[in-house]
Amino acid sequence: MSTPEPRDRGDAVYAGATAERVVPAVFFLSAATLANEIVLIRLLSFRFWPHFVPLIVSQAMLGLGGAGVALQIVRRQVVRSPGRIFAWMVLLAVPAFDLAFRASQLIPFDPFLLLWDPGAWPRFGVFFFLLAVPFFLSGCATAIPFAFLGLKPGPVYAATFAGSAAGALVALPFLMLAPTGWLLRLPLALGAVACAFVLSDKGGGWRKGRAAALCAVLLLLVIPPADLRLSPYKDLAAVRNLPGAREIASRSGIWGDYRAVFAPGVHSAPGMSVRFMGEIPPQATLFADGELRGIVPKDGGRTLPAYLGYFPAVLPYRLFDHPRVLQLGLRGTEGVLTAAANFASSVTIVEPARELVRMVREDLSGFSGGWPGSLPVEIREEGARNFLARDRRVFDVIEAADISSATFSSLGVHATGETFLLTREGIRAALARLGEGGLLAFSGWLKAPPRENVKILRTIRAELSAAGLAPVADRIAAIHGWGTFSVVARRTPFHPAEMERVRRFCSDYGYSMVWPDAGAKAVDSAEERALREAVSDAIAGPPGEREAGLFDLSPATDDSPYFHRFLRLRTLPEFRRLLGSQWVPFVEWGIVFLVLSLGVSLVLAAMLLLLPAVFARDGTGKAATASVAGYFTALGLAYMLVELTFLKAGILVLGDTIRAACLAIGGFSFFSGIGSAVSGRWESERTMRWVFAGIAVCVVAGFVTLSTAAGPLLAHGWAVRTAAFVAALAPAAFLMGIPFPAAISRLGAVGGSAIPFAWAVNGFFSVAGASLASIGALWLGFRWTVGIGAVLYIITGLQYRRVGR
Amino acid sequence: MSFLRIVMIAASVLSALHGALATDDPYLQKRAAMVRDQIEREGISDPRVLAAMRDVPRHLFVPPSFRARAYEPYPMPIGEGQTISQPYIVGLMTQILRLKETDRVLEVGTGSGYQAAVAARLAAEVYSVEILESLAARSRRTLSDLGFRNVVVRQGDGYYGWEEKGPFDAIIVTCAGGHVPPPLLRQLRDGGRMIMPVGGPFMTQNLVFIEKDARGSITHRNVLPVAFVRLIGH
Repeated sequence: MSTPEPRDRGDAVYAGATAERVVPAVFFLSAATLANEIVLIRLLSFRFWPHFVPLIVSQAMLGLGGAGVALQIVRRQVVRSPGRIFAWMVLLAVPAFDLAFRASQLIPFDPFLLLWDPGAWPRFGVFFFLLAVPFFLSGCATAIPFAFLGLKPGPVYAATFAGSAAGALVALPFLMLAPTGWLLRLPLALGAVACAFVLSDKGGGWRKGRAAALCAVLLLLVIPPADLRLSPYKDLAAVRNLPGAREIASRSGIWGDYRAVFAPGVHSAPGMSVRFMGEIPPQATLFADGELRGIVPKDGGRTLPAYLGYFPAVLPYRLFDHPRVLQLGLRGTEGVLTAAANFASSVTIVEPARELVRMVREDLSGFSGGWPGSLPVEIREEGARNFLARDRRVFDVIEAADISSATFSSLGVHATGETFLLTREGIRAALARLGEGGLLAFSGWLKAPPRENVKILRTIRAELSAAGLAPVADRIAAIHGWGTFSVVARRTPFHPAEMERVRRFCSDYGYSMVWPDAGAKAVDSAEERALREAVSDAIAGPPGEREAGLFDLSPATDDSPYFHRFLRLRTLPEFRRLLGSQWVPFVEWGIVFLVLSLGVSLVLAAMLLLLPAVFARDGTGKAATASVAGYFTALGLAYMLVELTFLKAGILVLGDTIRAACLAIGGFSFFSGIGSAVSGRWESERTMRWVFAGIAVCVVAGFVTLSTAAGPLLAHGWAVRTAAFVAALAPAAFLMGIPFPAAISRLGAVGGSAIPFAWAVNGFFSVAGASLASIGALWLGFRWTVGIGAVLYIITGLQYRRVGR
Repeated sequence: MSFLRIVMIAASVLSALHGALATDDPYLQKRAAMVRDQIEREGISDPRVLAAMRDVPRHLFVPPSFRARAYEPYPMPIGEGQTISQPYIVGLMTQILRLKETDRVLEVGTGSGYQAAVAARLAAEVYSVEILESLAARSRRTLSDLGFRNVVVRQGDGYYGWEEKGPFDAIIVTCAGGHVPPPLLRQLRDGGRMIMPVGGPFMTQNLVFIEKDARGSITHRNVLPVAFVRLIGH
């Protein structure tokens, strides 16, 4: 086989496609592509159900794999003029970042309707295709240099990694500074720089067509962005639709898009007792990425609204006079007002979303009347676990409200989201911050069959038992209203007089006492009986979890912090049989879309990877050998398993998802980029054996160190935690940058016809790896998932010597 | 002359009937199947409710693009981000309310008007409040076209009920901010019944049933759809 020489070798030079121009162009295009991915997550989270977004974005990323397939099929045409095609792929990819999103907004598509309307699926297909276009073009541009221009793969791949790192790191401040609607300016701007490197040709003169394309990009940068069209089923859209609705405040930042809307038709009081017969004052509704986040009663700071005393969540205030209160999460002003109305002596709120804090405290102070004058209120802008580890004060009441909906989860929407506060370690940290007689309080929606309330009780029990605080049953009280529950727990037993206060509270407000008065046989309602049995079993039943149940109610841990994951895969058939056509409210949609995402990526990968064999007529189909496929499949899967699991563990250490994402993606890309840059020296089979072994060792050692040190690290400042996180991933990431360019180099040495195929395989299975990483974390935990990633690297290493033979 | 008139009237009636039957025919079978498979089989046994649901042409309350699937066991979008409940939930809510021919009913959240139409088959008067003008106008038109004379639809904030028309023997709340609106409790007659679904759009998980006894005391209980009971029973 011959080397992949262009037919006109001078074309690369003629088109300006020298390493000096290509590498920077690839760098900036990769930065733009990664920024586009991050920005898309925010934009689509705002427009649709959040759990649908990973499906869309990961599938759009399949465009990168599709690029490899396309290049393999049209290889002969590309070989004739790779420099020009490279330039035009860059020039087309960049405006596509903006235009594809604008076009996607014109598609009348809503993920809700996929469940009911078969006609929604073709629209979803078009929507998906449009979002994949820029990734496809970018993938073509990135693959051409080492597949067709004869450039060394190491530097080009290093530019890809370094660009991705830069894109991730630049995205962070941009998310803080730019309004949501303007976020797509970032990939456009980064892409415009990439375009500048492909404008000139051999003589240094500009090509008119390319200059015109750049002008179009610059034009897109200055014209106003498209208005974001929300799904009509988003909370924000529903409230905006009400007569007289008006937006009274908005902010955006790395944590999300926050808006406050006032509409006279909003009367929110989830779970309020039917004994309240008064008036609910006008309210402003707060939204985070279009989802309901909290309520601000008008002038509540001046006149405490009476209705706030009519919720089961008021229970801890009936057990502790003048408590020092810690509230985990800011829910508008209702939490503070409730504390004030119940004579708290102080309130500390821990809320990492700075924009939300500013909006409530500053922008809405005129509407809300500020904080009640008599109550000292402090807001700490950091993650709850960080605060619990760092702050040595003790509190009388620690509240985590609404653990079953809104900020935590709703109908399984966030089943795939990490919630480190509700793990065993999180409960342990909260218990440690309780003063004498202090109460840990949780509340949320009742569900049938009971789930969140039982799971939190099991978690509390496990931690109290582990601390030697027995009997646990004397330290817990649980009540419920018509729709919500409230659970309180503490380290010391409740006195009979305190239990009497709980009973009186229930009697006064029409609530039911579930524990310690659980008498399963005394009630005739199936739901009540089921609830009491479940609570009784969770608090005083045999230790361990009943494996026979339909739902998984075992306590979550920091190694698999998915409090809202209840689904047992093996019970799905029985589930379906029992529910018939009423299965929709029970399905954890986050998990469904995750599994769907994996399925779609595998099916598309299988279909598209077969295309070269069908259409390529120059024998390149033969290049798609099993060894190449096996090597790059394992590599794609392994890289994502490792990177994403580090990212998930980073959420705990760094305190928030966005920083963890930017640092993990940025860190892995940066160090892998260095690895790629030096990969040329390490390509020998002997050296690579050590590289793969080194990866496995560094991955496992880095992750074990990180997860073991996470607890102590939480008490340190952000700089220390960041340094520790980066240090844990750096050695593995550096070595993980080597195998791809090393194998590409081997393929290049034997003609390079399989390079586009390798690119495609790696792209497809990186997407599948992302889904698998989440699935592994959900059911196996982080350590096992990382372990599997390490094993995959060993398997990849065993195939290295076969690549290019 | 009079014979001719009778013939013409008979012809026009037959023609209209034929037209109606011709239009309704495919849906008639679907409706019967819906009541048999989704309503009756799932435990709704009140013959009046079953008859009402056999009577009301559900397909005319959904957007034209969804008509073919109007009798399937799912909620459906009706525009403006609102939905029409799945047939079973409509049947269950109606049965729980135990509507009588003399009852005056308040519905909060008219939506498509389908629930109001089913209730109107069983009660004397139905007053329905819809906050979105477009939906109020559309449901008013649909109900009028179908000849429902005992349903009145008004655009307004249903949270405050319809005080001038109260008190009501029964209240159906289809859209509440997670609580039972106190103004509605005040407008509920002593001995009255109220029902409210719990859950997001498309996602009714359970129903809250409220009764006001003869002395004005309020009691409440959760009512689970049959499948959910099976799940708990498991």
